[in-house]
Amino acid sequence: MRTLMSDGQRRTLVDLLRAAFPHRTFPLGPYERTAGAVADAAAADPRLHALLLQGLSDLDEQRDVAFSQLDGETAGVVLRELTGTPFLTAVLDVAIVALYDDHEVWDVLGYEGASYDKGGYVDRGFDDLDWLPDPRIESQEAPA
Amino acid sequence: MTRFDHDDSDVVVVVGSGAGGGTLANELCRRGFKTVVLEAGPHLTGADYHNDEWKAFDQMAWTDPRTATGSWGIARDFPTLPAWIVKAVGGTSTHWAGACPRFKAHELTARSTYGDLDGANLLDWPITLSELEPYYDRAEIKMGVSHRHGRPPLPANNNYKVFANGAEKVGYRDYATGPYATNAEPYDGRPATVQDGFNFQGDKHGSKWSTLVAELPKAEATGLLDLRPESHVVQILHDSTGRATGVLYVDRDGSLRRQRAAVVCVAGNSIESARLLLLSASAGFPDGLANSSGQVGRNYMRHTTATVWGQFDKPVRMYRGETMAGVIADESRLDTDRGFVGGYYMETIALGPAFFAKFVAPGSWGPSLTEIVDGYLNTAGMWIVGEDMPQETNRVTLSGGTVDAHGLPVANVHFDDHANDVAMRSHAQRQGAAVYNAVGATRVVETPPYPSTHNLGTCRMSRRPGDGVVDRFGRAHDVPNLFVSDGSVFTTGAAANPTLTIVALAIRQAEYIATEYRTGSS
Ligand SMILES: Cc1cc2nc3c(=O)[nH]c(=O)nc-3n(C[C@H](O)[C@H](O)[C@H](O)COP(=O)(O)OP(=O)(O)OC[C@H]3O[C@@H](n4cnc5c(N)ncnc54)[C@H](O)[C@@H]3O)c2cc1C
Repeated sequence: MRTLMSDGQRRTLVDLLRAAFPHRTFPLGPYERTAGAVADAAAADPRLHALLLQGLSDLDEQRDVAFSQLDGETAGVVLRELTGTPFLTAVLDVAIVALYDDHEVWDVLGYEGASYDKGGYVDRGFDDLDWLPDPRIESQEAPA
Repeated sequence: MTRFDHDDSDVVVVVGSGAGGGTLANELCRRGFKTVVLEAGPHLTGADYHNDEWKAFDQMAWTDPRTATGSWGIARDFPTLPAWIVKAVGGTSTHWAGACPRFKAHELTARSTYGDLDGANLLDWPITLSELEPYYDRAEIKMGVSHRHGRPPLPANNNYKVFANGAEKVGYRDYATGPYATNAEPYDGRPATVQDGFNFQGDKHGSKWSTLVAELPKAEATGLLDLRPESHVVQILHDSTGRATGVLYVDRDGSLRRQRAAVVCVAGNSIESARLLLLSASAGFPDGLANSSGQVGRNYMRHTTATVWGQFDKPVRMYRGETMAGVIADESRLDTDRGFVGGYYMETIALGPAFFAKFVAPGSWGPSLTEIVDGYLNTAGMWIVGEDMPQETNRVTLSGGTVDAHGLPVANVHFDDHANDVAMRSHAQRQGAAVYNAVGATRVVETPPYPSTHNLGTCRMSRRPGDGVVDRFGRAHDVPNLFVSDGSVFTTGAAANPTLTIVALAIRQAEYIATEYRTGSS
């Protein structure tokens, strides 16, 4: 489904997401896909759609230059000023689910995802932590 | 597949197929009772489950509307999701982890032990630990609980290694990888765990005890189980003498059906059990069925919970292996010198990045969130679960305006922390932080409670009919052939995770029903 967002607004949305979830290690792809998820949600929800269109255009009015021209720190400050607005809250609600559900993000964070089809971790390191001694696994107290 | 007639009034109807209902159904079938289990959710099995947090949640969690009020953080952060409960055959026993501590003797006499606490509606259970112990034994054997009755312990996984080393350093002694209801080696026809790390999403392998893989297949094999998925009970019916005569339910095609019954047992998990009794109000029971005490829905408990995360400068990979196979029990002791009554357990917990980012600091974004998430790989986690105080005003009611797909008012869950809950939580967070700091944490993060996974107390047991809803066997004080068979009967919550006790009580209840009702008659 399509939204009424312009290409420029779509880029602003990506920049908003990068400012809201600033990970130095994340490539652009996950932010772009998250913007896509926000757009999809908006296409199916007129209220969100309206908030998004108005909110993105308001975002460009916060400083003398457009939001996408701001340095990272200023962009963060601008978003802070919008904390609690229906626009920002609605966008972040969708985004936090989509961004951290992105498999490229999982790779970057070191998470391996589905494991059952690979036989679990029983032979693949469920206990490979080696920087602490192996602890006992039975209590020294008598069972209840 | 067995089918009993809708007009067969000899059957026992069990509402809900989770830990309580599924166990009760099996125990009744074994004793020769024709048993109809009505389950609101679909019949999914391991092959259907997803190794993916959101997909699994969307597939199985109860996402029909509910509302939340009160000063708890949940009403602000998750106003439409006060609880995490599964709507599927097997109920929440499909998503549970498996931690299986027992109650302690003093926890069944909370009112006598803790005294009269301002604002707390404490009451002693009408059962003692020694009465419960034989049923705990049978529940543990049934569930294959590790560390008990010769079942071997689970091995230490990465998350446990951090947790246990920290525990040792701060001087704790009572820590172990269980008791935990997942097979370390094959047991009861089910395989040993492959440590795939997916517990809260349903165990595709079937090593974890659930009513889906353990109780219901056994009940089915007796030929006496009529399991009807996608059957949502909307009303319990009664006659002019005040006896239950059956239930009305909406079937998978959306048609309203009546199933007659000799006995009705409600095991919808505390929020839905209370809702169903309230929805079943009638001229004879104007405040809800079995509610002459006014206690239906009240004294809702959810355990005092929190999560503590430790982040390190080396990898942990907490997501590998059994999620909750790690328990520190030292703080579950009776010791009112800590500034609160009741005790708590610390248990390992792991989330994937999707849930971690969503729940670690609800509502948070910006660097304060991303710095925590960046440390994901090097994070160890523990969950706190402790006794919370029953309060009359913590309560499940019918939500005025909000209705479900059948047009029925949904449950509103109102909750305020008791001062004792707050004191316990902050003690537990301090101790949790100490455990991780003892093994070199570079950062400790405290996470507030999640939507409630333990839901208790809304139809509590009491000796006197005026103090609660059901008697010592879970039979309604007001309706002689109506039983409640889940955690809503808990008089107080104790520190222990509830499922072992729910299962023990269900076994005991089945035995009682079998002595009170001859097969085929009432
Ligand atoms: C993520 C997670 C982890 C957990 N880990 C642990 C643990 O380690 N240890 C522990 O002890 N406990 C744990 N629990 C809690 C445990 O799952 C519950 O205590 C237990 O499942 C409760 O059993 P129950 O029979 O009361 O309800 P459930 O198991 O929830 O079953 C209730 C069933 O009733 C059905 N139902 C409700 N209303 C109706 C209706 N009107 N008509 C028909 N059907 C209806 C529901 O769809 C559901 O299937 C965990 C829970 C979660 C969510």
